[in-house]
Amino acid sequence: MTAHLDPGNQPPSPDVPRIGADEPVVAHAGAPVSYDQLDDHELLRLHVAGNPDSFGFLVKRHRDRMWAVAIRTLGEPEEAADALQEAFISAFRRADSFRGDAKVTTWLHRIVVNACLDRIRRRQVRAADPLPEDEDRAAELAGPMQEDPAEVRERRLDVLNALKQINEDQRAALVLVDMEGYSIEEAAAILDCAPGTVKSRCARGRAKLLPLLRHWQTSRESDVPEKSAAEAVGTE
Amino acid sequence: MTESGLPTSEHLEHLDTDTIADLIENLLPANEAHRAREHVKACPECQQTYDALVRLSEDLADEGRADIPMPTDVAEHLDAVIVSESVLRASTVGVHSLAQIREEPRRHLPKLLGAAAGVVLIAAIGVGVVIATKDQANEGAASTDQNSPPADAVTLTTDDIGSQVKQWLEHTPNPIVHGSADEQACARSFASTQPNPNVRLVQPAKIDGKRATIIGLQGGAAGDIQVFAVTGCNEPGGVASSFYDTTVTLRSR
Repeated sequence: MTAHLDPGNQPPSPDVPRIGADEPVVAHAGAPVSYDQLDDHELLRLHVAGNPDSFGFLVKRHRDRMWAVAIRTLGEPEEAADALQEAFISAFRRADSFRGDAKVTTWLHRIVVNACLDRIRRRQVRAADPLPEDEDRAAELAGPMQEDPAEVRERRLDVLNALKQINEDQRAALVLVDMEGYSIEEAAAILDCAPGTVKSRCARGRAKLLPLLRHWQTSRESDVPEKSAAEAVGTE
Repeated sequence: MTESGLPTSEHLEHLDTDTIADLIENLLPANEAHRAREHVKACPECQQTYDALVRLSEDLADEGRADIPMPTDVAEHLDAVIVSESVLRASTVGVHSLAQIREEPRRHLPKLLGAAAGVVLIAAIGVGVVIATKDQANEGAASTDQNSPPADAVTLTTDDIGSQVKQWLEHTPNPIVHGSADEQACARSFASTQPNPNVRLVQPAKIDGKRATIIGLQGGAAGDIQVFAVTGCNEPGGVASSFYDTTVTLRSR
């Protein structure tokens, strides 16, 4: 029996979704509550119980985070979008396997990372066809133009372009550990390898990234204007 | 230049960037680590690489904290994917707003009308299956003794649901299915989303003053009944939402 069905773990829940109603509200102890006010666990539980909308809300809440992970791990917007599609469908269908003691974001994150890694592995199998370089498309998809200051976008693109140039295993480890803040042990569990392997991939990945991103540091130290992303990538 | 950290012919004694990065991660064997550490201390150039690698991790962490806004077209696409998953789930397991399924009848009709005898027959079998899947084929008619629930809504409190269901089901080996055809269909749709969709009980009820439906499903073990109290099933085309669930174990008969 799944955890959510066990009354021992959970008091009788008072919220009753009004499925099919026009407004995205559910009745909560008598008072209408919007999905925004429900936490991740509640949204997921409603989804498992058959609510058709709560999963969409859950994903909407975390999609920028998940996009960041996918685009950094895969380097290509098209690939990242495909990986997220696979990940969200998988999460939708496997929601009842979620164990209530974990954080929903951790669970979702892991599914996204695994979908990305699956794509990387499949790509490695047909390694003969390298991905097309399309800097303009990458720039366009790295974020809506109006939302972020130019230097934020530029720096973001620098990192994305630099990450793209290193080995995919090293990139995945670095994204998890350095960028997403996972511990070595957590990253090892997600990547399904030994902690020592994660450490070594991170170390070698950093060594490769350093010359690609060194202008960050020089600009920070000497106040020299930053090079453009294109120049930076050309350094080698 | 050794900026890249690679050893060159004039600087063979310098550590390469990989070695310095390994040193930072404590990946070098003890004696090698010692030698490397001593070298870094003495060599400004390698010290610089060491510092730069440490700072690179920090910079990546800074960058990593920022979300990247999902492009609108990707977000819209993914929303559509999730909606279609929701519809797919509804059409395979019967949950989701029934109104939404009615909106796209063409997708569902051909399958349903494949045999000309059609929908009525399917509906009849649907009811039959629920009753026939129980293989306790000893007696036919549902018990009508006083321990059976009434055919219309029974009034009780949330706390009493478990014991009441236990009482009802211990007095009959047969499924108890009450309520309007809509209510029963709604309960079966709900059941089909559960791990054990085998319906043992559908009973209209007024629970703590609220119109609800009690659904009992065969649990994992023979005597276990998963009990759900749901709202939404008493309206035509309604969809069940569970607000209480428990498991009862029937005394063996």
